[in-house]
Parts: sequence; C-alpha cells; structure tokens
Amino acid sequence: MDGAEAVIQIDGLVKHYGKVEAVRGIDLRVARGEVFGFLGPNGSGKSTTIRCLLGLLRPTAGTIGAFGLDSIRDGVALRRRLTYVPGELRLPDRLSGMDFVASIGRLRGGFDPARRDQLAERLRLDLGRHLRDLSSGNRRKVALLLAFLFDAELLVLDEPTNGLDPLMQHEFLGMVREARSAGATVFLSSHSLSEVQRAADRVAVLRTGRVVAQGSVAELRGRARQRIEVWFEDDPPEAELKALPDMVDPVVDDHRFKATLSGSIQPLLELLARNRVSSMLVEEPDLEEAFLDLYDGETV
Amino acid sequence: MNARMLELVVGPLRAMMRATLWWSIGLAALVAGTISVWPAFKGSSGISQAIDQLPSGVVQAFGLADFGTPAGFLRANLYDFFVPLLIVIAAVVLANGQTASEEASGRLELYLAQPIDRRVALLCRAIAALVAIMAITVVLLVAQLASDAAVGLNIDTGYVLSTIILCALLGALHGSLAVAIAGVRARPSIVLGAGIGVAIAGCVVASLFPLSSVLAPWRHISPWDWAFGGNPLDHATELWRYAALAVPSVILTAIGVFAVARRDISGA
Repeated sequence: MDGAEAVIQIDGLVKHYGKVEAVRGIDLRVARGEVFGFLGPNGSGKSTTIRCLLGLLRPTAGTIGAFGLDSIRDGVALRRRLTYVPGELRLPDRLSGMDFVASIGRLRGGFDPARRDQLAERLRLDLGRHLRDLSSGNRRKVALLLAFLFDAELLVLDEPTNGLDPLMQHEFLGMVREARSAGATVFLSSHSLSEVQRAADRVAVLRTGRVVAQGSVAELRGRARQRIEVWFEDDPPEAELKALPDMVDPVVDDHRFKATLSGSIQPLLELLARNRVSSMLVEEPDLEEAFLDLYDGETV
Repeated sequence: MNARMLELVVGPLRAMMRATLWWSIGLAALVAGTISVWPAFKGSSGISQAIDQLPSGVVQAFGLADFGTPAGFLRANLYDFFVPLLIVIAAVVLANGQTASEEASGRLELYLAQPIDRRVALLCRAIAALVAIMAITVVLLVAQLASDAAVGLNIDTGYVLSTIILCALLGALHGSLAVAIAGVRARPSIVLGAGIGVAIAGCVVASLFPLSSVLAPWRHISPWDWAFGGNPLDHATELWRYAALAVPSVILTAIGVFAVARRDISGA
C-alpha cells in the first residue's frame, strides 16, 4: 500500500455462523483512491466480509471499519460515506425504479436529479418501470445507479456485474475508473477475474475464509505459472532442462521442449542463451491462471 | 420527525396501503353485513327465549347473554370474538410483513446499508404498522356508527368508541409482540405463529376459563380479559384497561428495538 492512507481497515476478522467458519482471520488495508479487487469463488467469505463492513453482520472476532470508523459502533457515520451494491439483490417489487431511487435518496438526504437521469441514460435503464417487471440485469443497473449517484467516498460493490451484458460490463468499468479519478475508493468483489484484472490496482484473493494472496495485479500475475514452449534447432539439452528450478511437468518431444514454469524465468533464459533456439513461446498468465494456481492448495 | 425518519415510516406505510385498504373493507363489510340483520332481532322475544334454553356455560362462552339488546347483539356477533381477532391477525400480519418477512427476503439489506440506525428503522416500521391498524379501526368505527344509524341500532357512541379503541390496542399489543420476536430473530413463520397463537390462546382463556371455578381466576392473565372483561359496550371502560394494553405494547416494541441491534441482519 506504500504508506498511503487506509480507507478500509480489517484486522483479524473472524465470522462464524454457528459451526460454520465463513471468515477465518482476515487482515486487509485498502488505500484511499484505489480500486481494490476482492477475488474468490462462491463461499470464500467475500460477501460475509462486506456485510461485516456495512455493519449488517457482527464480527465474531477482530475489527472491521472504514475512515477510522468501526462498522458496528459508528455504523451510521460509516455508511453515510459509502454506497453499496449487494451480491444477492432483492428490491421492493411494488415500487417503480424512480420511486425506489427517490426513497433511497430521501434516506440519504437528497441527490441531483440531473445526475440520476444521466446515469439512467448511460446504463440504458428505464426508471419508470416497476422493479418487478425488470430483468435481473436491469435490476442490477438500478443498484449500480444508486451506488454511483451519491458521490460516495467509498463504493462497495459485491458482484456488481452479475447479469449485465458485455456492453454494460464495459460501461461499468468506465464508471469505476471515473469514480476513481474523482477520488473515490472502490472495493470490488468479484469472481469475474477479467473484470478485476481490468479494473483493480490491487487484489486480495480469498479462499475458505482466508486471504491466500494479496498484492498488485502485476505481482499476482508474476507469481503465477507460465507455460513455456521452446523449439531447438538441434537436440534439446534434456537433462539440463529438466534440472532447472521451478520447472513443472517438463517434456522433451523431438526438438521441442514444453513445461510449466512456477518461478523465475532467468535460469531458463541463461540455458537457452547457450543453445541454438529457433522459436520460443511464453504464455503470459492471466489472473485466472494465477487464481487457479492459488487454489491448488498453497497459501502465497 | 426529520425527513429521513418520515421516509422510514411513510415508505412502509405505502407498502402496506393495499393490505390496509383490504382489511378495512373486509372489516367494514363484516360490521355492516352483521348489523343489517339487527332489525330482525330487535326486541325479538323468541330469540331471547331460545337462548335462555341453552346451558349457561354456552351462553357465557359465546357471549349470547342479552342477545336481544344492542350491546348484547354486537358483543355476540362482532366484538366478543370476530372483530378483535381479525384486528389482531391484521396487526401481526402487517408487523411481520414489515419486519421479519422483509428482512428474511433480503429486501431490507439495501435500506439498512444506508446511513440509518437499524433500531430506528425497526421502530419506524412498528409505528407504520400501528398507523395502519389505527386506519383500519377508524374505518371500522365509521362503518359501525353509519350502520347503527342506518338500521336504528341505539347504543352509546362513547361505548362503541371505547370498544373499538380496545380492539385497536389489543391489535397493537400483538403487533408489538410480533415486532419483539422479529427483533430477536427474523423468522416470519415464528413471528406469525407466535403472534396468532398467543392471540388465540388469549381468546380461549378469556372465553372458557370463566366456565370453570378452578380456572376462572386465571382468566385475568389474558389480554382479552384486560380489554373486554369490563363489558365496554355496556359500561364506561376503566382507564387501567387501556394502560394494561398500551404499556406492554411499548415494552415489547422496546425489546424488539433493543434486540435487533445485537444480532446479525439476515441476508437473502
């Protein structure tokens, strides 16, 4: 975090539901003005952590808060400075989108109608329709509109693009970038790796209630395995190749060498420099591979 | 009351508007329909004689005494059982719908993620349910007085007003019980079951316990006895009866408000 001011502070957060340990000790800092990706599969504890942050759940142990405010003790003051898109979205069916936005607006102390209309147009959302008549994607847009309507300092977005078409997902990422440029901090929970990869500055990966990796997107990708293929002009130096460190499943097949590299590429490059190489392929990992790698069982 | 709190009351009231309307229409229709047959019973000695043939326990249990008088007729047909029970059910259903049911469905989450105190939110929803019950009983009162006038059922308006206020307070008491349970745990089935179960138990205690010399003294544990034990259609109601219903309502609501701050909010 490079000493930047922390907006979200989570220390030793534990949350149990009876015998179920949903969150098992999370420590996290999110800096002001960053987009922080909160990654993990379903059931990893993302939504539980977020609901603790909002004061909807009481931590079993540890503390969680934002802006120096505790989520339980200072819940009202904390929530005044953030907006939220729930992962499981349930809206009051009987209201129109317009009425619902107005109701939330009255609870928050007002909003700019012009901005509401601008966001509705941008999201291609008809606020005049009853919420019960909206598709899941359009209901999601209502929640997104509310999250971006109030100029909050912190946006807490739990699976915000569920049900959105690719065009709207793209639009959403633009809105996130604009909010960040305006100084907001964005806490983006998702299991959509490509989404986080495109939007986030830093990422924490959760697995069974624990943070198994934390760092910048680039760092996380750097830790990931890379797929290597090398074509030699002569016979490959098989013994030397197989003796290289961090080489997983090395295979020599005629003039081709194939392996997965889980560490530094430098020893391989030094070996290749001493040989005649006709072609080489290094597949850069996307976050998906980094992510799956973490789930192989090793905490990073 | 500031704009935020006003929204916390008015929002649930808007949500209950249709249900409130239907409960009002239903009760008004029940009252008007029942009273429309009063001219057939008015001064009828045959009915009184027939009732006199029944065992005294049955007459007492079903409130059939003085059936030929305006107060006796209203008591037996409306205010000993049907109207109070319907108002109590309406109160429990409406309170549950705005608290436990909303929370269990996940619809409360986005509201509680706003800068509002969940205790205030629950209190405002309890107030909204109370306002809805008051609206239903105002319609009931209007229907009662209009029907009385239409068929010439002569009864003291003050006694009718007292009886209907007691019905509203009995509803408020059971609605508050629903709020208290919802504050402890957002399980709609438990809230509905406990609220309506307590109402029926109270009604049974007040109606049947007096038939047994052993059980009779215990009838006073029933809120129905606190409300109607003094025959409010025949006599001026003692002030303590209003207080006996109102004070526990306040205490039960406070328990709910206290409890809701000390637990997790259910998700969808």
